[in-house]
Amino acid sequence: MSFLRERGMGASVLVAALSSAFGVTLLATTAYLGFLAKTAMGEGGTVGLMVGILSGIFIIIAMYVGAIVTANTFSTIVAGRTREIALLRLIGSTASAERRRVAGQGLIVGAIGSAIGLAVGVGIAFAGTAAAGRILDAPAYGDAFQAWMALPSVIVVLTTWAAAWGGSRRVLSVTPLQALGGSVARSHEEARGGRVRAGFGIALGLLGTLLLVAGLLLGLFTPLAVVVAFVGGLLSFTAIVLAATAIMPPVLRLVGRAFGGSATSRMAAENALRYPERSSRMSIGVVVGVTLVVMFAVATETLEKVLVSGLTAEEADATGVSAFLDLFGGIMMALVGFSAIIAAVGLVNLLTIGVVQRRTELGLLRALGLSTSQIRRMVLLEAAHITIASTLLGVVLGVVYGWIGAQATAGSVAGTPAIVAPGVPWAPVTVVLVAMAVLTLLAAVTPTRLATRISPVEALAAD
Amino acid sequence: MDNTLAASVAHVTKTYGTGDGTVTALDNVSVGIRRGEFTAIMGPSGSGKSTLMHIMAGLDAPTSGQAFIGDSEITGLNDRDLTLLRRRKAGFIFQAFNLVPTLDVKANILLPFDLDGRRPRPDELHRVQDLVYELGLERRLTHRPHELSGGQQQRVAIARALAAAPELIFADEPTGNLDSRTGRDVLRILREASDTGQSIAMVTHDPVAASFADRVLFLGDGRIVADKPRQTPEEISAHMLRLEQEAAA
Repeated sequence: MSFLRERGMGASVLVAALSSAFGVTLLATTAYLGFLAKTAMGEGGTVGLMVGILSGIFIIIAMYVGAIVTANTFSTIVAGRTREIALLRLIGSTASAERRRVAGQGLIVGAIGSAIGLAVGVGIAFAGTAAAGRILDAPAYGDAFQAWMALPSVIVVLTTWAAAWGGSRRVLSVTPLQALGGSVARSHEEARGGRVRAGFGIALGLLGTLLLVAGLLLGLFTPLAVVVAFVGGLLSFTAIVLAATAIMPPVLRLVGRAFGGSATSRMAAENALRYPERSSRMSIGVVVGVTLVVMFAVATETLEKVLVSGLTAEEADATGVSAFLDLFGGIMMALVGFSAIIAAVGLVNLLTIGVVQRRTELGLLRALGLSTSQIRRMVLLEAAHITIASTLLGVVLGVVYGWIGAQATAGSVAGTPAIVAPGVPWAPVTVVLVAMAVLTLLAAVTPTRLATRISPVEALAAD
Repeated sequence: MDNTLAASVAHVTKTYGTGDGTVTALDNVSVGIRRGEFTAIMGPSGSGKSTLMHIMAGLDAPTSGQAFIGDSEITGLNDRDLTLLRRRKAGFIFQAFNLVPTLDVKANILLPFDLDGRRPRPDELHRVQDLVYELGLERRLTHRPHELSGGQQQRVAIARALAAAPELIFADEPTGNLDSRTGRDVLRILREASDTGQSIAMVTHDPVAASFADRVLFLGDGRIVADKPRQTPEEISAHMLRLEQEAAA
């Protein structure tokens, strides 16, 4: 069990706990929202259907985010463990045994994290529904937690296990020779996604885009179009995740150019791209968070615009649509904010492991006269690269997805079927930007502390 | 303070650990590295030669005693001042991992200026250009370290160390990772740099490497046991062998 103390494992437990708590809370919340909608509006046909569909979609999104982030975290851990695995290979362990060991640790980490998350989720379900009941003066609610709501926790155990297995693919390519040195000094990771994967990604992307457009147009006739759009969104987003190693490096490079040409800026830019695969995966985690929050902000704002188009201001107020959507949108954004926290854990992990693996290099730089404030600046810039690049991409994707989602859901509900321009609510977008700035600062704290503590003598003696 | 010295230590003692486990790496050592000279610091493993270099370079602090670079005392300086001092007054060549892998050759050579947040002055730029040609690096400037051979990487490290004409260059086993022919080339370059006025202190356990130096300091058990002028590799080997035998006895 000593592996739990290894750098990155604590983060994985935390990710599993967050995913599990996220899932349980989400189920409890959507169930409660359904209950509220039912008591407030009776068995309101279209609205009831929409809430049902959105709830279903939400659960799938929750699983999806959890799976991506857990897989990312685990492959970063494996990358940071190359030397240890190489040593075990050197003294005779087989590659597949090593991979099974990593996956087994994933199962344990998943189980521990998931149990913690379940406890937290149940707590939130009881406390949250009780508090909401008091505030909204809603009728008593006896189903705060039901056994089926534990399903996400069970699934998180399985996805963490599977993600550890998937993320440990690299174990197979570790050679015993890497235990003898060299691997740490290796500068650029050659590995890029294969052609097959790229082709698969392009096909998914095209199909997804096609479905998104179809959903947008079908939305003019039926709210069920949101299912088509949802599948399109899922496919196209999966394509983006698969193609992350092709999409993120150019974006990161672009951001890097904006920081000028001093040695620390250049090194920060290069470090952010040093392991393109790792940086891309981690930034994709942040992209997921930003995209989801912006998507819900834009979706609720656009939905409101669509639903009240053709109504006077008084008529619109009378429907209560705005109030309902604001509450709904607020809860949804707070919930998807969870995935941003999970992504943040991943980012801290990435930067920390990056610093640990660069010990010797940082020792050299310290010997040559890199001051602690220059180290601080370098690590901070490195974090900023990833958050800025991810935020840019996430905001663009979020606006597009949110707009299409709202159109597909409600394009046909309004008096006259219409396509309206996306509504971008600036308040949530500003919150996202501020949160990303805070994340950048927070993510740099631990790695900076580690990096400034490196003694040049010690670091250089290791070789 | 004697202004003919590029660096010196006075009554320096360095111990590690406490109680029964205390190890004395340096035991009341006083010595100066003369300006414009190429000095080799020799000794068996554990003799304290690396510790001496680290203390002189401001990379490590002595338990007691004083260390100077030029005429300024470095003992007791805070981390920031020590960093600035290393940046401006010292050059470093290590056994391995000398270069920043993410920067190209040119950026690696200009790193001392860059870390100082300034562009090289015209005379410094001139010096760097001359160095690049002398060391045969002119066609490698845009290459990354991993595209270079070990010998070429060490030449880049030498160019970086010489670029800002520091008070003193510290070389820690600079030939340790090179084959003998490439190692010989590197030593010849250091010898020539010293002939044109650069002060160099080199830690080594290789008698051939030490034979390129103007002066050879021998360390044993944390003390300076001999201080000799330029010697042949045979003389140095014989001396080292005697030291080893004494240490084992």
